[in-house]
Amino acid sequence: MTHRTLAGLTRRRLLKTSTLAAIGTLAAPALLRAQSSELVIGCAGSHTAWMESIVIPHMKEAIGADILFEGTKSSVNLEKMSSNKDAPYLSVVQMDDPVMIQAVEADLLSPITPDAVPNMTDLRADATHMEGMWCNYVQPWAGIAYNTDKAEGVPSWTALWDPANSGQVIIPSLQNTEGMWTLMSAAMLSSGKPFSEAQYETDAAFAKLEELKPNLLTVYTTMSQAFNLLEQGEISMLSGNFSSYTLPRKAEGVPVDLAAPAEGIFAMPSGICLVKGGPNPELAQAYVNEMLGPVMQAAIADFASSVPANTTVTAGAVVPEGVPIYAPDWSFVAANRAAWIDRFDKLMAL
Amino acid sequence: MIARTNRIALLAVPGLAFLAVIYALPLLLLLIKSLRGVEGMTIVTYVEFFADSYNMTVLWRTLRIATLTTLLALIIAYPTAFAMARAKGIWLTMFLVALVLPMSLGVIVKAFAWSILFRSNGFLNTTLQTLGITEEPVRMLFTETALIIGAANVFLPFMVLPIYSVVRQLNASLPEAASSLGASPWFRFTRVTLPLSLPGVVAGSAFTFSLAISMYVIPSLIVGERQQTLSMLIARSFLYLRNEPLGSTISAILLAIAIFVVLFSSWLVGRLGARR
Repeated sequence: MTHRTLAGLTRRRLLKTSTLAAIGTLAAPALLRAQSSELVIGCAGSHTAWMESIVIPHMKEAIGADILFEGTKSSVNLEKMSSNKDAPYLSVVQMDDPVMIQAVEADLLSPITPDAVPNMTDLRADATHMEGMWCNYVQPWAGIAYNTDKAEGVPSWTALWDPANSGQVIIPSLQNTEGMWTLMSAAMLSSGKPFSEAQYETDAAFAKLEELKPNLLTVYTTMSQAFNLLEQGEISMLSGNFSSYTLPRKAEGVPVDLAAPAEGIFAMPSGICLVKGGPNPELAQAYVNEMLGPVMQAAIADFASSVPANTTVTAGAVVPEGVPIYAPDWSFVAANRAAWIDRFDKLMAL
Repeated sequence: MIARTNRIALLAVPGLAFLAVIYALPLLLLLIKSLRGVEGMTIVTYVEFFADSYNMTVLWRTLRIATLTTLLALIIAYPTAFAMARAKGIWLTMFLVALVLPMSLGVIVKAFAWSILFRSNGFLNTTLQTLGITEEPVRMLFTETALIIGAANVFLPFMVLPIYSVVRQLNASLPEAASSLGASPWFRFTRVTLPLSLPGVVAGSAFTFSLAISMYVIPSLIVGERQQTLSMLIARSFLYLRNEPLGSTISAILLAIAIFVVLFSSWLVGRLGARR
């Protein structure tokens, strides 16, 4: 028996129409997205300020891209890329060099070429890695952030271990790339060797780190939370922080500063890469090209007090004079990081 | 022809199908992953997990924190639920709003608020020193005590509401009858009111314990990496150690604990219901 509605439609037709409408409604966002100018970018959570204020408006104007960015840790970005390898939703990822190495090993990246990204030809020679698998687009330097109400400066990495700073220090977890700076400083102090050699002295590093425990308030994985405690004077020192984070806050009048200890500071290059098989590949290449171009390079370097990678740009960070800058052996870090994280967590556990 | 009750039962099919695809299937895959080794099915990751003293410390800490959180929430929630059950009109509305509204506030916002409260120069320490109870600031931030207080704060509604729903239906004449027979207030409470409210207590405790044992964001923000819980170990295994078998194994262990608590509490509620 065929039931008819008041409008004269059969029940079967009504059901059919409703089902198609429902499917259409559910599928619409995906269909629209596939043809849109939307780019999903993975980046560091600490980059939120300049991504929102500089990059997103510029990209809309310059290449017509609507940027959705997911700010998190590099390791989390790597996991997202790995989990979605068969159907990537990220087009571009900005993350730290050791994690880039892991991404290359997992075959998650497409190489960046000068044909598609002309601005990469203006980069410093050391800013392009593994035959273009990723490029460094900005490079802050890392030292020890301190509260200026509590200290007048931090002349040496040994200050972290000073008994006068009991309970007044926070260090990054090795889950965060910046955690490596405290590990390497511990290796340098324990072994007596320069950073370039000490970075391989793992046992010495962990032995020295254990001595730091009485001075630790906590170990952080969320930098903004730890930095907040520094700003409020709950702690006096935050190890391994970046010029791109501390110096803008100092400029805003917050009582913090970044010390460059005499033994040396660290180069903290941030990389940009194309996700293999990611959506909107041509728009993604245009985004990378803009990030490496003079306008974005100058704006980011100026905002984040960091060293630009583009040689045509002169703006950016003031790097402390007379203090050596070290770049670690990232391949050594990448190969050992998981084991170090496990050892570090167990060593620091309460 | 399908009986009317059976046809009504069919209404549950979309919900069950949703749960099967979104919840049960991924959990099954996780369980399989935890049991899959290079040469086939194995329990080696479970053996390794329980053989590692660090993991056992984390397991014990997680159980302890979940238990203490549940107890603290129960201590606060039980009288609150009675007050709500007796409240009427604007007072009841105020109670419900006070209970439910904070749930709309993100945990991250709350964590930052607690960090202000627990600081060495924060409200609590200032109060303690002003009252002369302590001379020096007491370390509160990044302690297990702060975590338990914070977690109990977040999960309190899940304890109050089940108790409230049971207490509201209690027959007020029963304690009055006991009183008219000469029962003391303590006797009335322990022999009449408390037993009748226990199903709500068990349900609320099961909710709170299950949530507390699997919480991730709250311990991450309040006590940090030096006092890890099972959920933090899971995240660490998947995201940073990139050890999926270990992460799957810990997830399965956590799930087993949560399932045991839910089943045990269901059995207990049934037993208590049968006694009534």
